[in-house]
Amino acid sequence: MSDAKDFAFTLTGLRIPYFPGCTLKTTAQNFESSAVAAARALGIELVELPRWNCCGTVFSLAADDLIHHVASIRNLIRVQEMNRQGLVDGENRMVTLCSMCYNTMKRANLRVRQNAEDIKKINDLMYREEDYQGNVRVIHFLELLREIGMGKVKRAVKKDLAGLKVAPYYGCMILRPKEASIDDPEAPTVLGEVLRALGTDVVVTPYNKVCCGSYQTVHDKDAVAGLAYDILGHARKSGAEAIATTCPLCAFNLDNRQKEVAEKHPDFEHMPVFYITQLMALAFGVDQGVLRFDQNYVDPVPLLKKHSLLDK
Amino acid sequence: MEEIKNPVMDIIAEANRSATSGIDAKDIKDWITISIMGRAYKVPADLTILAAMEYAGYKFVRGVGCRQGFCGACATVFRKKGEYKLQTGMACGTRAEDGMHLAQIPFTPAEKASYDLTKEPYSASVLIKYYPEVARCVSCNTCTKACPQDLEVMDYVQAALRGDFELLATDSFDCIQCGLCALRCPSEIVQYHVAQLGRRLYGYYGLGVPEHLKKRVEEIEKGRYAKALDTVIAFSNDELRKQYVGRDIEPEQ
Amino acid sequence: MAEIKYIGGYPEYMRKIIEKVEKTREKRLGYTPAAMSMKERDEVLKIHPDFAPGGKREILVGPNKGERGSNEVVDLLEAYPLVDAGDIDLSRVDYETKILIIGGGLAGTSAALWANDKGIKPQDILLTNKLRHGDANSIMAEGGTQAADREVDSPDLHFLDTIGGGHFANKPDVVRALVEDAPLVIKWLCELGAIFDREANGDLVEKLAGGISRRRMHSCRDYTGLEEFRVLRDEFRSREISYLEHYPVIELLTDAKRVTGALLWNLETGEYKIVKAQATIIATGGYGRLHIRGFPTTNHYGATFDGVVLAYRVGARLRDIDAVQYHPTGAAYPLQIVGHLLTEKLRGSGAQPVNCDGEAFVYALEPRDVEAASFIRECYVRDKGIVTPTGLRGVWLDTPLIDLKNGRGFIEKEFPGMMRMYTRYEIDMSKDPVLVFPTLHYQNGGIETDPWGKTNIEGLWVAGEVSGGVHGKNRLMGNSTLDCLVFGRRSGIDTAEYVKSGNKKNSAKLTFDHLKIYVQSLKEAGVKPTRRAPILLPDYRGKAALARMIDVF
Repeated sequence: MSDAKDFAFTLTGLRIPYFPGCTLKTTAQNFESSAVAAARALGIELVELPRWNCCGTVFSLAADDLIHHVASIRNLIRVQEMNRQGLVDGENRMVTLCSMCYNTMKRANLRVRQNAEDIKKINDLMYREEDYQGNVRVIHFLELLREIGMGKVKRAVKKDLAGLKVAPYYGCMILRPKEASIDDPEAPTVLGEVLRALGTDVVVTPYNKVCCGSYQTVHDKDAVAGLAYDILGHARKSGAEAIATTCPLCAFNLDNRQKEVAEKHPDFEHMPVFYITQLMALAFGVDQGVLRFDQNYVDPVPLLKKHSLLDK
Repeated sequence: MEEIKNPVMDIIAEANRSATSGIDAKDIKDWITISIMGRAYKVPADLTILAAMEYAGYKFVRGVGCRQGFCGACATVFRKKGEYKLQTGMACGTRAEDGMHLAQIPFTPAEKASYDLTKEPYSASVLIKYYPEVARCVSCNTCTKACPQDLEVMDYVQAALRGDFELLATDSFDCIQCGLCALRCPSEIVQYHVAQLGRRLYGYYGLGVPEHLKKRVEEIEKGRYAKALDTVIAFSNDELRKQYVGRDIEPEQ
Repeated sequence: MAEIKYIGGYPEYMRKIIEKVEKTREKRLGYTPAAMSMKERDEVLKIHPDFAPGGKREILVGPNKGERGSNEVVDLLEAYPLVDAGDIDLSRVDYETKILIIGGGLAGTSAALWANDKGIKPQDILLTNKLRHGDANSIMAEGGTQAADREVDSPDLHFLDTIGGGHFANKPDVVRALVEDAPLVIKWLCELGAIFDREANGDLVEKLAGGISRRRMHSCRDYTGLEEFRVLRDEFRSREISYLEHYPVIELLTDAKRVTGALLWNLETGEYKIVKAQATIIATGGYGRLHIRGFPTTNHYGATFDGVVLAYRVGARLRDIDAVQYHPTGAAYPLQIVGHLLTEKLRGSGAQPVNCDGEAFVYALEPRDVEAASFIRECYVRDKGIVTPTGLRGVWLDTPLIDLKNGRGFIEKEFPGMMRMYTRYEIDMSKDPVLVFPTLHYQNGGIETDPWGKTNIEGLWVAGEVSGGVHGKNRLMGNSTLDCLVFGRRSGIDTAEYVKSGNKKNSAKLTFDHLKIYVQSLKEAGVKPTRRAPILLPDYRGKAALARMIDVF
């Protein structure tokens, strides 16, 4: 990116603290590279926290298990620091891409904001850090898109994805529990709105928020493969050619587990699984190097070529 | 026959006496009291914990090494008078203070994994393979609080988890492997072993061998400098002096 | 007496002297005092502790009988053994090994790795340590390691620098091995994952140092020795080579002609163990803790000359044992860090020695002995030193110049260890100068070897600071870690070849015959049995506590 463009952001664009999470730095680099580029095309600069730690991975439900929320809250303190250091200007929101990170930090934040005693204890434990003031808001990238408006997303499209039939898949972590949901938990639409703005044919299936199997994927591949078979199978039956999601774990279970699915069901037809941001970057016409399809298990290239959507 | 002593040398030796032999009480003006493993001792003020313990009569065979903050042998835990915080430091670089309670921790039991760098991929998975407990980090930052080098230990553990080898190497570089982080970690991670493996992976895969070095080693192996060395090695003492005095000195950068 | 007022770590009166340094700083920024001529060097060296009268005497016994050495050194060469040969049962061997390595610093650890590379199994090598594996001067090496690996540089230039720095007393064939292998060992370290400072393009950062004619100092921040060593130790442990800690060797064993093993002593329990070995490498380091001429030292706690004492008793020849290296820039203030090393890389990066009038009185990068002697002259002959509250004298090392020359933040990035040391005492060396005075740093001479580390005694090799010859009378910066790496490697390879070509060596006898001869010669020379060696550790216990100590166990 050119300096001139950087300068433009500081003047007019939105600079917002961004929390990547471990998966986006390892197995889901394609999610991050496409998201950062897509955001930039919308005039949004995702400013990575200069220092950050794991989100905590899973929100702990135990009432007396405050230590497991320390990880989340520490990241929120970094947002305060960024404001103080002038890396962002009065921006108290922190954007996440990974649904799991979003869910964990959103809920930890809600919990401590509702309980002054919790904040005090955590601050006390973290005496090397500045105190958490409770003012940071954890938001998901999709919420940010909704806020700037799908009209703006649509205007950023250089090459619409007309003809590409995509089924949005939400999973659980951006919908449940209700207080952490970014959308109607029963009838979410946000992914569909984005896909529509990109010009795709949106295929809605009743399986779009069925659990992907989550961490069972470590111990029980078969169970997860079974869920993937159902979710992908219904999408296929409804006419979809691909899936779009925002969760690296969902993506892994739906994408990589197709290996096990295919072993069990010889008639199974592989289906590409996209991060929504890969489709955005594609439609926005940014350098296709950011798409990083090398990290997708099922190769989406043939499908995209079929629709003449790739540069080469 | 005994030679004449040099007064300058004697003055220097006398002035340095407190750094070269046991301290004599008659040289001391200010005193403090510290508690070494529960027993109080009156010791000179302005000493390191190490020197104060020696003054008290301890002759170390453990818990001492370089005495200058490089080796990590003299890890010590202490509480200052009236403070609840358990503090950590190296006995050789921490000033003994009046009312301080302390104990040394001369050894950290921790297993180091065996590996061959060249057979591992350059990825976070290597660190998790050999030290799976690293994934148990809850980001409590206790390790950072314990580090006598003031390193951001938790940050480098987090960097390890996400395969950011450069950050891991940079943040952990000044580690003296004293073990205090590992002793304080509630997740029982051995941070300094993880960092050692990570730094070596970064050195091997991330930095590699620079071209000019490879080239020079090849040249030497092919004998490019053999003749020049045969020549200088055969020089007479006078010729060597002449060559040495006449050589040009490269300027500073 | 009024309380002393401290400002930024310094008492008020020293602050006033610092103001003079600040006043001349800008002028000195572009000024470098001229390097001394050979004649000027000879003149100033007269006040060097090695040449100032009263410090040396003749050795009465052993291979170097009649030569002179520092009193503290000769004291230990002329000392009686710690054990009475008759009290030790040599019939039960506790460890039988092919290669015994005594001392686990850079040299010993390198030797083990290279012997292993040459086919000696990990379980056939035994590395013993007096303290922990790595409690060595090696890990305290701050400045760097020399290697001529740039296009404008060459091994023969490195050779000239080394020999000139050593006052032309070096053993040329050994120096040749040092300079010719230097790039190779740096490459070896890179291949093991050591992180040297790099330029933006990936080339190695290379700096000047005292007495060297090309930029060839390779560094790892100011933790060079630590980084080099911990990488080697990590590799050593990964290969599962055998080692013992807190087990000093207190005597070698021989079959009268050949070294065949050693007597180990458990430093904590006092129990002894017998090792039988086909080849033995001594890599025990130097002697800073002898506090020669009453100087403080940069050395680690175990630097007590043990290896030379042991080898001398079996008949190993020494050389240049009279030459002591005093590092010009030891800390002189505050009291807690007196004698601690301030790396020469500071001067290599632009710091200037300055006297109490704020004058740069000497070229910053003279060979160490010349530089050290000029500091002593400034303090005690010209009376332009700075006196500390406890009566020590020193000169300023104007460290803020480094950031002025290299950009703000340079000191913090390149010298984190130094910064840390001073910050503990509230001194910011990037803003204020620090006070320095020479400190006992290095054993220039030692046990004589051939280019493969082999001594005149069969079965005995040495590597590192314990050896003599490679540095002549004065070692250059960056040649000590290099010495360890090169001769550790060479002794490891050579012992491996020796062991592999060996025959009947396992039937070798273990005796103290050499000791009987040595003790006899001490008696004949009239040496009274009051001193015992090796001393293993120095003693800093308070005089009051010592005076009332009862030795029960």
